[in-house]
Amino acid sequence: MMHSSRLTRRSVIRGGLGLALATTALTTLGLPMPARAAGKKVIIGAFADGGLTPFKQKIIPLAREQGFDIQFLEDEYGVTLEKWFADAQSGAGQYDLYLLDDPWVPQFGAANVLEDLGAGGIDGSDKDWIGSMIDMGYWPPQAGPRVKGFENAKPTLICVPFVGDLQTLTYRNDVFTNGAPKTWDEVIARGKEGVAAGKIKYPVVFRGVTGNPIVTSWYPIFLSFGGSFFDDKWNPIFNSAEGKASADFFVGTMKQNAPSGVVEFDSDQEGAAILGGDAGAIIQYSGNALKADDPAQTKVAGKLDFGVVPKQQSAIAQMGIFIAGVPKSAPNKANAIEFLKWYVSAETQAKLSEAGSIPVKRSAFGIAKPGNRLIPVALKQLDAGALPRPRTPDWAKVEELLGIELNKALQAGSGGGAALDNAAKQVKDYLTTAGYY
Amino acid sequence: MHGAAQARKYRLQGAGLDLALPYLMLAPGLTIVLGVLVYPLWDGLRASTKAYRYGSPVGDIGLQNYVRLWSDVQFLNSLWVTVKFVALSVSFEAVLGFALALFCLREFQGIRLLRTVLIIPMVVTPVVVAIVFRLIYASDAGMLTALSQAMGGGAVQILGNPVNAFVGLVVLDVWEWTPLMFLILLAGLQSLPHEPFEAARVDGAGAWRVFADLTFPMMRPVLAVAIVLRTIDAFGTFDQVFVLTRGGPGEATRLISIYGYDTAFKFQQTGYAAALFVTIGLVVLALAFSAIRLLRRVDAS
Repeated sequence: MMHSSRLTRRSVIRGGLGLALATTALTTLGLPMPARAAGKKVIIGAFADGGLTPFKQKIIPLAREQGFDIQFLEDEYGVTLEKWFADAQSGAGQYDLYLLDDPWVPQFGAANVLEDLGAGGIDGSDKDWIGSMIDMGYWPPQAGPRVKGFENAKPTLICVPFVGDLQTLTYRNDVFTNGAPKTWDEVIARGKEGVAAGKIKYPVVFRGVTGNPIVTSWYPIFLSFGGSFFDDKWNPIFNSAEGKASADFFVGTMKQNAPSGVVEFDSDQEGAAILGGDAGAIIQYSGNALKADDPAQTKVAGKLDFGVVPKQQSAIAQMGIFIAGVPKSAPNKANAIEFLKWYVSAETQAKLSEAGSIPVKRSAFGIAKPGNRLIPVALKQLDAGALPRPRTPDWAKVEELLGIELNKALQAGSGGGAALDNAAKQVKDYLTTAGYY
Repeated sequence: MHGAAQARKYRLQGAGLDLALPYLMLAPGLTIVLGVLVYPLWDGLRASTKAYRYGSPVGDIGLQNYVRLWSDVQFLNSLWVTVKFVALSVSFEAVLGFALALFCLREFQGIRLLRTVLIIPMVVTPVVVAIVFRLIYASDAGMLTALSQAMGGGAVQILGNPVNAFVGLVVLDVWEWTPLMFLILLAGLQSLPHEPFEAARVDGAGAWRVFADLTFPMMRPVLAVAIVLRTIDAFGTFDQVFVLTRGGPGEATRLISIYGYDTAFKFQQTGYAAALFVTIGLVVLALAFSAIRLLRRVDAS
């Protein structure tokens, strides 16, 4: 008798079902057992920045000793805002803690996607906080103009300062031999002498790329020329006489004394220019400044010093702190808040300062041996003046509009004032559409 | 009796299975298409009629988002930049791709290797291509600047100059996507019948006559398909610009995809961005249909 092995429809379906069942069974068997209780697991999202290096190297190991299982997930700066906002809003729960750039706080605050950390037990009224830093954690802001819809809302602590980053001046001490230059005119004049003496190639370097980079570079000059961004009704006033003077100085004098390709420079190129020994001075955040003494990362170790930003009317820098928020969708919310309480304690902040990072508590600035000589300078800058960017959820768009116009003027090497007029009109139009007035 | 009932039952079961089986087989694919294509499209259309604030819908506004687009200077600028980019890139790719395909149609030693080498750019990840071109174009440490300095020149300004940055982006795209044109057109050329060409040769037609009277007319349908495909694809160019210029300097390379991305994800204007992408989708579809109609008309005449 002969057995037929004809392929029938029924046998195909049976075989398919059998295969599916077998695959499911194997997959199930192959999976690890359901995870046990998460313990003190905390998933931290951060954008890649040298300002977080001391935290990563010294504080995460300490946190592990405290029983926190830290997962540190880094992304490029340019994609984190949208990624985290989508995570928070969709409730995806991919992170327990975001280390935000401080201008993003209003955007997350207005969308109501972050936990109330005050209710979680973090004391925002602790006098040890640097006042201007903890203020940035509240939404709506405790002082200053508020956007429509939030005029009467109670300020809630939705973020806490994490690394107290702010702009300071880094300069070549063999070019500026009398210490930090006090004014922008001095930066240029002494810088030119440095170029003539063959010590440097350019008096200054900055970021010229459209959007956030160019606005960040122009902002301290704008502040030091005495400019203000919005009035208390959200009308753009950055195109005031002071603002225009700062923009003309920036796209004219500054460009003439910077590398020829500065229009396309972002933080990596400006970092290379100052750490590589080509530039005489730079206004920057701590990311590259922390590398100033490391011969492995700079060609001019020992020749870079720090100072308060130069002034025209006043020496005001831009604040750009790392600020931590816990999304409402965080899978390990309680752990994240517990971690933050430990992290912002005076003891841990002192350790952070020892590790070389700018702390967020005043007491930590006063420790015997700060881990980096930038830290006391940062405190001096805080006392001299450091302002955050305007607290509006639409800052990203405002910065984009302004950045494009500034970048165009920078390409031309002139017309800074006109660029501000154009940008002010566009910002006003945009905010009108957004219902600000 | 019992046997007959049993047989009828099996027949019925078989008939039922016959009826259901095609649908059962289609069900997984259909579910996936509905889930990942139809639903997002529908949701996008719905979102385009809503106003959003802080990432959440706050009300229906009908077609206002669509109307607003045409008075949005940034949108119009991005659209213009995109149209210029697509027109220039696809034209160069078509001409170069055709030329390469004609060259590689011939059989000579090493032709197989050459054909393989020519398609390499196409298989490199676009982000990697953009990073490499950034290293070539960078004015401080780029390869072009190094070359220029070695010859006694200064820094080469590509990414900091609006015209140069735009041209640089087109060059990148042409480098990466000419191989696709080449591949499609080579396949088209290889499938052409030999007889007309042999007849032309017997009649003493020169290379240009053969190309103008035979090759090009016969290749027109293939060329049209390749151009339409590349045009649709080029309209969606994103990653190369995102890495290379982020749309700058100024707005010189801000393609519609970058503007749409920023509008949707950075500025959280979800409804407006949805209207923007729907509009662009319709523009691309209209272009594709026009190209195909034009082709049919040309063929008919």
